[in-house]
Amino acid sequence: MQDRLKITLLLTPALTVIGVLFFGGLGLSLLRSFNYMPIIGMNDPNLDAYRSVLASPQVYRSLALTLYIAATSTLIASVLAVATALLLRRSFRGRAIASFLVHLNLTIPHLVGAIGILYLFSQSGSFARMAYGLGLITKPADFPAIVFDPYAIGIIATYVWKELPFITVITLANMQTLGNDHESVARTLGASRWQAFRHVLLPQIMPGLLSASAIVFAFTFGAYEIPALLGASAPQTLPLMAYRGFTDVNLASHPQAMALAMLIAAVSAIMIALYTRALRNKRRG
Amino acid sequence: MKSLTIAALLAVTMTPVAKADTADGAALIAMTWDQIVDEARGGTVNWFMWGGSDSINQYVSGYIGGILMADYGITLNRVGITDTAEAVNIVLGEKQAGVSNKGAVDMIWINGENFRTLRQGDMVWCGYTDALPNNALINWNNPAIANDFGVPVAGCEVPWSKAQFAFAHDSATLPNPPKSIPDLIAWIKANPGQFTYPAAPDFNGGVFVRHVFYYAAGGAENLLGRFDQTKYDAAASKTWAILNDLEPYLWRKGDTYPTSITALDQLFANKEVSITFNYDASQFGLAVQNGSFPETVRSYGLTDGTISNTNYTAIPFNSPNKAAAMVLQNLLLSGPAQVEKAMPAAWGAAPAIEIARTKPEDQAKFASITQLPSVVSMEDLGKSALPELQADWISAIEQGWIENVGQ
Repeated sequence: MQDRLKITLLLTPALTVIGVLFFGGLGLSLLRSFNYMPIIGMNDPNLDAYRSVLASPQVYRSLALTLYIAATSTLIASVLAVATALLLRRSFRGRAIASFLVHLNLTIPHLVGAIGILYLFSQSGSFARMAYGLGLITKPADFPAIVFDPYAIGIIATYVWKELPFITVITLANMQTLGNDHESVARTLGASRWQAFRHVLLPQIMPGLLSASAIVFAFTFGAYEIPALLGASAPQTLPLMAYRGFTDVNLASHPQAMALAMLIAAVSAIMIALYTRALRNKRRG
Repeated sequence: MKSLTIAALLAVTMTPVAKADTADGAALIAMTWDQIVDEARGGTVNWFMWGGSDSINQYVSGYIGGILMADYGITLNRVGITDTAEAVNIVLGEKQAGVSNKGAVDMIWINGENFRTLRQGDMVWCGYTDALPNNALINWNNPAIANDFGVPVAGCEVPWSKAQFAFAHDSATLPNPPKSIPDLIAWIKANPGQFTYPAAPDFNGGVFVRHVFYYAAGGAENLLGRFDQTKYDAAASKTWAILNDLEPYLWRKGDTYPTSITALDQLFANKEVSITFNYDASQFGLAVQNGSFPETVRSYGLTDGTISNTNYTAIPFNSPNKAAAMVLQNLLLSGPAQVEKAMPAAWGAAPAIEIARTKPEDQAKFASITQLPSVVSMEDLGKSALPELQADWISAIEQGWIENVGQ
């Protein structure tokens, strides 16, 4: 009894925050997405906002772009992070510096990173000016479009730069806990380096890697600031579209913004469900 | 940007509240001005306003905030926001949550669609403007003052400045800029990649599109009054045809547009484009002064006119510091404050009061103002001014642009 009381008391603050702020906000958004907004005389809940959102070709273009950005950034960051972790696991001269540099990014806010990318890679940024100085280009428009571009290169670059250290840190910690005994055994039994990595190390670090990348995917899927600073004007990512609807001067467009926000939450939830299933299958297998 | 609003909110909730709670507007209106000032003394007023210009922020926090503290002991808490809709959303959220007398927002710098939203939701305090002594300086008979984008002001907000849209160019690289919409269209086609405009819903981008819309409609006079679907459809299809036709000649071939006026100004400062524009011509002077634009920048209006408007300050229905907000509004209207605001070094915004009604010494100061070379004078601009349309037109044009051009 005593223990149960203690646990309840200890959990209360965290659960209150989650319950009130998260589920409270979610609940209010849900009400508004059902066109329930008594302040402007919308008293009958209905599904109109979802219908108009799901019927809009803009939304599908935006969904495709958002999925593309999140998936590409997560994939590139994960692959590079595993490679970085493999390197940092070894001992070599300058390892401390390399490790420091990798960790340094973790402290830099996303916004600062995005503005850095903007200053470096825009068509009138530092690299464009250098190229002009070297006579490689004659006007800003000659420099390749890396920010505000249809392929979202600037956005993906910022995410890879920022999320790579995060996944590296988790994977490296994972590798260090495992040690390299299993791999050594595999190598003595005749496995090549690649085989030892592919069949021995990778399956062991996979759960950690998957959970780190799932966090990165969910974050990049729902994040607002990087696409807002570096994205093209159209199509926009889903969070930008939702915020635009939310700040639209016409109150009637708020339900659609909320329906979009629910869509973002649903996609993220589906991702997490798929991930836990994949993880369970891995454990069983 | 969302986190900015949250930070602003936190800042507001942590500042000390006014000693006297003056949420009850009806009680205030029944008082004399001296009583209202007494109520306001020692309080705080949380003013939510667009915070993108250092000079404007300095004028408000430094000059106005200083007088407010020295003369009335009122603390001015300026809350910078990127979009006025953010402040409107806070009031809306409070209204929904039933917060009727201790809202976080005491005053908003506002006009147009956002004002309409406040009135649509019954979220603005009305009927108090006659109580302000400096109300006498306002010419309410001027339809451009008494109507905010076609919506009657009806004592729900107080004018602060007038603004008129102007274009800017660098006279060193572009000595003769195009001075009408048809000339501009021809110039863009002759100089590919040198022009673009911010995508809707950016405010200034929307105003540029409206200039093209007026041109396509054969003049603004055909569009005044309530929204008319037939008139809209006719002008809209022409406008989208013109703008889509221009796309290949725009910056980045129209594949993307800048998403804010700040982004367009950066492109102009970096010489990626040759023309920028702003609803507030004094911004060009400020940009030259702070070194982001070259000294050779000049600004101009169009021969067929540019759009003008009046901007206001409004007090939300649930402000707990209405007396302090009224004192602030009255101060903003005063001759000296409007002269200071009109000074190019401070801001350079055109007064919303009748200069002829101010004291002789203020009139003399107004007469002595000389504009910076980069800022076109209000007199020159004002020779051909175009009206703003009612908010329904503006929303329809913005939405139409997003669907037909921006995608």
